Amino acid sequence: MSRKQFTTKGWLGKHPVAALVAGAILLSFTLQWVNDDATAAPRRRKSRKKSTKKKEEEIPRFLVKSKMVDESKLASALKSAKQIDRLVEANYSKHKIKPNPITTDEQFLRRIYLDITGTIPTYRQTQSFLVSRHPDKRKRLIDRLLNSDGYASHFFNYWADVLRYTDRLNNNVRGEPYRQWIKQSLAENKPWDKMVSEILTADGRIWDNPATGYLQRDSGMPLDNMNNTVRIFLGTRIGCAQCHDHPFDRWTQKEFYQMAAFTFGARTRTGGSDKRYYKNNNPNERLRKAFYEIEQEEEDRRRNYYRFFRLISINQTIVNDQVNRKIRLPHDYTYDDAKPKSIVEPKTLFGKSAAIKKGESPRIAFAQWLTSKDNPRFALTLANRLWKQAFGVGQIEPVDDMMDDTVAENPQLMKFLESEMKRLKFDMKEYLRIIFNSQTYQRQACFEEVHPGEPYHFPGPILRRMTAEQAWDSFLTLAVVEPYEFREFPSHIRTDILGVDLETISAEDLLGIDAKMRKAVDSGRGKRQRKYMYKGALLARASELPSPVPANHFLRMFGQSNRELISASSKMGSVPQVLFMFNGPITHMMLEKGSTMYNNVMKQRTVEGGVDAVFLTILNRKPDDEEAKIAMDEIKKSRAAGYGNVIWSLVNTREFLFIQ
Amino acid sequence: MREFVTKLNGVGRRQFLEYTAKSMLGVSLLPALEGAVAAAPAGKGGKAKRIIYLFMTGAMTHLDTFDLKPGHENQGETKGIKTNVPGKQISEFLPTLAGQFGTMAVIRSMYTETGAHEQGQYLMRTSYKEIATTRHPSMGPWIQQFKGRKNKALPDTVLISSPARHPSAGFFDPTFSPLPIGDPNRGLENTKAPEYLTDESFDKRIALINKFDKKFRDKFKVKKVQAYTDFYTQATSLLSSDELKAFDLNEEEDEDRDRYGRDVFGQGCLLARRLIENNVRCVEVTCGGWDMHNSIYNENTLPRRAGILDQALGNLLKDLKDRGLLNETLVVLTTEFGRSPVINQNGGRDHHPAVFSAMLAGGGIKGGQFYGSSDDEGHDVDEDGVLPADFNATIATALGLPIDEEIYSPTGRPFKVAHDGEPILKLL
Repeated sequence: MSRKQFTTKGWLGKHPVAALVAGAILLSFTLQWVNDDATAAPRRRKSRKKSTKKKEEEIPRFLVKSKMVDESKLASALKSAKQIDRLVEANYSKHKIKPNPITTDEQFLRRIYLDITGTIPTYRQTQSFLVSRHPDKRKRLIDRLLNSDGYASHFFNYWADVLRYTDRLNNNVRGEPYRQWIKQSLAENKPWDKMVSEILTADGRIWDNPATGYLQRDSGMPLDNMNNTVRIFLGTRIGCAQCHDHPFDRWTQKEFYQMAAFTFGARTRTGGSDKRYYKNNNPNERLRKAFYEIEQEEEDRRRNYYRFFRLISINQTIVNDQVNRKIRLPHDYTYDDAKPKSIVEPKTLFGKSAAIKKGESPRIAFAQWLTSKDNPRFALTLANRLWKQAFGVGQIEPVDDMMDDTVAENPQLMKFLESEMKRLKFDMKEYLRIIFNSQTYQRQACFEEVHPGEPYHFPGPILRRMTAEQAWDSFLTLAVVEPYEFREFPSHIRTDILGVDLETISAEDLLGIDAKMRKAVDSGRGKRQRKYMYKGALLARASELPSPVPANHFLRMFGQSNRELISASSKMGSVPQVLFMFNGPITHMMLEKGSTMYNNVMKQRTVEGGVDAVFLTILNRKPDDEEAKIAMDEIKKSRAAGYGNVIWSLVNTREFLFIQ
Repeated sequence: MREFVTKLNGVGRRQFLEYTAKSMLGVSLLPALEGAVAAAPAGKGGKAKRIIYLFMTGAMTHLDTFDLKPGHENQGETKGIKTNVPGKQISEFLPTLAGQFGTMAVIRSMYTETGAHEQGQYLMRTSYKEIATTRHPSMGPWIQQFKGRKNKALPDTVLISSPARHPSAGFFDPTFSPLPIGDPNRGLENTKAPEYLTDESFDKRIALINKFDKKFRDKFKVKKVQAYTDFYTQATSLLSSDELKAFDLNEEEDEDRDRYGRDVFGQGCLLARRLIENNVRCVEVTCGGWDMHNSIYNENTLPRRAGILDQALGNLLKDLKDRGLLNETLVVLTTEFGRSPVINQNGGRDHHPAVFSAMLAGGGIKGGQFYGSSDDEGHDVDEDGVLPADFNATIATALGLPIDEEIYSPTGRPFKVAHDGEPILKLL
């Protein structure tokens, strides 16, 4: 059947819906993308029908509540963006740099979606932006994306890498409450100083205070935890000083211990004899006795023993402060300024001192010092980290290894960015709004090689490969109609069952928790996920997937961290990545009926329209004449399979994988 | 398919030559063909042709594996057992290895300058400190630099279960990049095209990629884009290779797979053996889980981890020996640093860079000996301290690499395979 009959112009305008439907039906007879995959199509259609017909059981989902950016602050954001441009341009003339041209709408659109929401835009989003003639369309898009849930998803991926978030924080604690707290904090745009302060001072069980997850991640490693804290939030590495005076920086071992003294009293566990929690009796003793009084087969008893005491441990995994617990220098301390094994009192590393109030956890004074505007590195570190997120290179590199003599690429600019962060009271969305509205950000990516270690003067952002999460989420955008639909399981459903009062609970009830949990949480997992599974892969945003994912997952193959070390993700290429792009299930899923890609093309009435749709969906731009001709020739020659070939090839271009 | 791939191989070869030519600018040594090997110092070493490099991440406790201090309060619960070499003892948790001590040289005087995991791992893998201005290559790519590429279809270096930020090929050209395998049980995935995709249409698709991508590549002539172009070439030629089954552990008998242990590290070691047998020159297998700050003697902590190591490495050494490969295959066991001799209040051991242990076997290494020693407490080096660079110089010498040869990075700075390390000639 010839497709020409659908090219009558104007028809679409009059009866758009009818035209699309008619076009889709007729085309479905003529088009067969892949030779035959009869099994995939009906299954998919059937399941969709079922879901509309029968009232589907509500699947519990954890949804964030996003806070909008403030309309009234736009003017000041634009003013600050101009100031950034002035400072960068002053640097251009100083270093004789020719700035890159401003991005085309196509380049800007794709980049801003990836930088704020972590995925390429959909076909519809692409179309609506490109046809718009509104003079403020870029500003408006930036705001809309900052308001969307995609913001929390993308930035969760970033911070999960920095914080080395794992779903199993340690033997006793699952991390979901913390993970959902991070997401929600980002979505509601909790100021960074508040967020960090909550992290550093949190106490209690993870379900009562999810921010305790930060300390639970380093349970039993108080010195490493301090090392991590200073590196993550103050961009400074004092780790060497854990064992000896720092060889290249000025920190002494004593100073390290003085810092660690602030948080050393914070413990991640308690026991049955802790009177602060168990006033009347020792629940461990009572429950142990009661456990042996429960009638059970010897074999069951052995099996239950571990589970039973584990449930007690989980309920006693409580972050608490032991004010009298003091840190001592190691027994082999070799410097003259103190004796080995002597007690060390808390003292800050730089900036002002921290005044510990009597009877209060030293962590409170520490958090106030660390997150204060007076701290010389707190605002600076965040301002630089977020700058790097937008440009691919920090004003200071590396972002977490500052020293006293570290100089930013453009010191005036860095100073301005830091002061903006303080003026904005650590409002991250507002800060990013400024950066994204700058001309500097909106310039084209750098064409030339940027060597590490050589100063980069920001003629525009650098060309970046997508992060693993951006690549995965973009693939999903091409393949899945509702990629945001699947969400992680709300953590409270599990912890509502798990959290008990050990002082009053009976041994039988405690032992019954596992069964309750299986019923409420575990047994439903398959059902919750079934609809979103495709050839063994859960089709959900990277931020909804387990952390870490298995080593052979797409995300790991493309460089997602295994979450053991801080900021351990990578953007290096590899052969297995290419094999995934060639033959991976998702690549082929987008060629099947029911995929976003498929739907977008099916709506077109002409081959020209189909080719445009393919380019707009994958590369978020129209093909130029030459590309259109190559694609048309291929489709004319290979008919339906030609579409598959063109789509597959475009997904496999470097242009797809890199952010211009 | 065949014909097309031959053509593509042609392109691959041409690109390879172009790359090599580029990387030679300012390079003092030509990457020669295999066989042209510079002489090792004092005529020692050079017997190893391949290397299997096992990295225990998290920092392996020395006192509970290879450097026991019987009778000292620092020893904790670990007891020593006899090995097959009279008078030499190692940990009771390594019974299989004890039976093979005769092939092993254990260095008990390793020390390093950092107690931070990633810096320690980087230093161990590269001999250089991690800095922002360059990325140093790891051992596999160094061998390829000196000896040329060994294998046409398969990569010269394979990394099994390695962390994402492995130093990898460092500043070398992307053609030197190791191939990472996430899960050895699954081997190299996505090598099968769907049924409907004929060889012809695959060729057509590759041609289409190149047409659609030309403008982008012309515009962004940067290394990271070129690297991907190269990975596409490598992947295409790999797909048509018969040697793909080297990655498939299903080709092994079930009982052999059981022998190595059905855990990731055990299967990783088995895969390493398969790859070595198929002409892959360097295989690195990472084994995590050694960061034992808490309850080290809990059955899930040290006993389990050491058990995994013992079973996997024990069987690897045995198989290599039985197949006559051990003489030419250097097996390395190392870690980023040691663990504190004093057990902490959580019943664990903390980070301890002042002294730790590592092991070499096969590839001409003189086995059955301890080299160097720690003091009575297991706290500091007592004799013959060995830095990561010295350790790597020993490895490089065993492989016959010229450790004094300087290679220039693209930014014009000179680097050596083992930095300024000195080989331990006594072991070679």
